[in-house]
Amino acid sequence: MASVKRRVAVIGAGITLFRRRMRETGRELSFYAAKMALETAGITIRDVDAVVCGSAPDAFDGVHMKGEYLLDGMGGHNKPYVRVYVGGGTGVFTPIAAWWHVASGHFDIVLAIAEEKMSSCHPHPQKAFTTIFDPIYTRPLGPNLVWIFALEMQRYMSVHGVKKEQIALISVKNKRNALDHPCAQLPAKITVQDVLNSEVMVWPVQKLDISPPSDGAAAVVLAAEHVAKRLTDDPVWIEGVGWCLDSTYWTNRDLYYPKYVEYAARMAYKMAGIKNPPKEIDVAEPYDPFDYKEAHHAEGLMLARKGEYLKGIKDEDDIFARYGRDGDLPICPSGGLLGVGNPIAAAGLMKVCEIFWQLRGEAGKRQVKNDPRTGVAQAWGDLMQVGTVIVMRA
Amino acid sequence: MSLERPRLPHEIRHWFGDMECDYVYTLGIAGEKFYAGLKEGRIIGSKCPSCGAIWVPPSLYCPECFEETSEWVEVPDEGTVYTFTVAYVGPDGEPLEEPEVYALIVLDGANGGLLHKLGEVRPEEAYIGMRVKAVWAPEGERKGAITDIKYFRPVE
Repeated sequence: MASVKRRVAVIGAGITLFRRRMRETGRELSFYAAKMALETAGITIRDVDAVVCGSAPDAFDGVHMKGEYLLDGMGGHNKPYVRVYVGGGTGVFTPIAAWWHVASGHFDIVLAIAEEKMSSCHPHPQKAFTTIFDPIYTRPLGPNLVWIFALEMQRYMSVHGVKKEQIALISVKNKRNALDHPCAQLPAKITVQDVLNSEVMVWPVQKLDISPPSDGAAAVVLAAEHVAKRLTDDPVWIEGVGWCLDSTYWTNRDLYYPKYVEYAARMAYKMAGIKNPPKEIDVAEPYDPFDYKEAHHAEGLMLARKGEYLKGIKDEDDIFARYGRDGDLPICPSGGLLGVGNPIAAAGLMKVCEIFWQLRGEAGKRQVKNDPRTGVAQAWGDLMQVGTVIVMRA
Repeated sequence: MSLERPRLPHEIRHWFGDMECDYVYTLGIAGEKFYAGLKEGRIIGSKCPSCGAIWVPPSLYCPECFEETSEWVEVPDEGTVYTFTVAYVGPDGEPLEEPEVYALIVLDGANGGLLHKLGEVRPEEAYIGMRVKAVWAPEGERKGAITDIKYFRPVE
C-alpha cells in the first residue's frame, strides 16, 4: 500500500439513545451525537475543518438527498462536507473516510457522524429493503431482506455443522451485555430457549435472532497527530483501515464465508502490522445484525478459523468464558446490534465508539478486563457484499 | 413541438415495477413547537444563545454556532418577498387553470423564512421587496400544518 502521510487519532465520541421511534428528527439526533463528540474532544464546531456524514438508504428517512438534509444537524454548514454510503457497512466506512481526510494532510480535525431514522418508513422499514434487489430478476418474487440472511445462515450452519442452539447463544450474550449500555434498545436477560421459542420469521431465522430497527446517531472526532497530542493525553490511534466489496450477484458465490470481509481485514491488519489477529487483538466488535453474523464476521476477521467460532461452545458459561467481557477474547462488549439496536449506519459507528471507550478505559460497566491495547470494529452490508474494518490502538 | 425524441416504454422489452414506501415523518423537537404555533395562528422561531439569530422555521440548534437554541420566540406573520416565481404548469407537467405565484418570504426580525404561496395578487403585480402578510385558515380548520397559512397577501 502507498505510504500514509499522517497518523490519525480518535479524540472524542458521542451517541444518542437507540430506540424504535425517537421524538427527534434525524437532524436533531445528529446534532446530539455530534455535540457530545465535540464536547468530549474539548473542541467546538469552529475547530472542525470538515465533516463526513454516513447514512444508509434514503428510503429509511424518506428524504432523497438525505446527506444534504442532515447537513446542518451534523455541523456541516458551510464546511467541506460529504456523505459516504456502502449500505450496512456505512457506519464503519464513515470514520474510514474521515481518516483519509486527515491522513492525506488535507484537514487536521474532521467530524464523522452516522445517522438513521428508520421509523419514518411506515409501517416497517423492511418495505424499503424490498427495493434493494435487482428489479428484473429478483424483485418480482417479492423477497424481503430477512430471506437473504436466512439463506446465508442455513448455508453457514450446513457447511460447518453449527447448531441453532449454539448460534442463539450469541443473541443471549449480546442482549445481556447491552444491559450495561445506557443507550440500548433491547437489553435483556434471555435464554437459548427464549430464542428458539420466538416467532419464526424465515427459517432458520427467528425473531430473537434479529436486531431491531432503530432511530439513532453516533459520532467521532478525528485529529491529526500533532493536534491530537495537544488536545488529549489519551488519543486512540486509527492504525488500520480496510474495505472491500464482492459482487452484487450474491447468488453466484458460496455464502458460508464472507471472503470480502477477510480481504478488508487483511488490508487493515497489514497496515496495522497485525500478523496473528486472535493473539494481537484484545477486543472486537464484529457486525451482528443477526446472531449468526457475529460468528460469520469473526471468522472473516480471522479471529477464529472458518466454521470454528462456536466450536466446543455448548452453553452460556462456554460463550461467556470465550467471548464475554472477562473471557479469552471479548466480542461485542457493547451489546452489539442485537442488544443496543440497529439504526443501520449509526450502529456501525456505535461499534467504533465502543472500541474507543474500551481502549481509553472509559467503558464503565462494559469495560473488558484484559487491559485492551488493540481493538477492531467491523461492519457489513449492501447486498451481502461489503466488509468495512477499522483497527484502533491506545 | 417537442425537441425530445422520446422512446415509449412499449417499444423496448420491459418489466413494470414501483418503489413506493409510505412514511410517517416525525416533527421533531423544533417542529413540534412550530406546528403547534401555526395551529394557534403564531409563527415560532428559535433564538441562538450565542449569536442571537432567530431561525424560522425553528431549529433545535443554530446551524452557524452549533449551539442548542435556548428560546422559542414568536415572530411577526409579516415579511418581505425575497424572490418569487409564477407557475403555469403543475408538478406532473399539466397546465394550471390559473397561474400560481410562489415566493420566499423573509419574516420580520428572523433569519430565514418560509416558502409559501402569494394570494390576492396578479402575477404581474408581484415584485421582489413586496411587503406581505399571512392569511390564516380559520381557527377551526387549522391542523398544525404548513397549509394553516393559506397564503401571503400584499400589504400597503
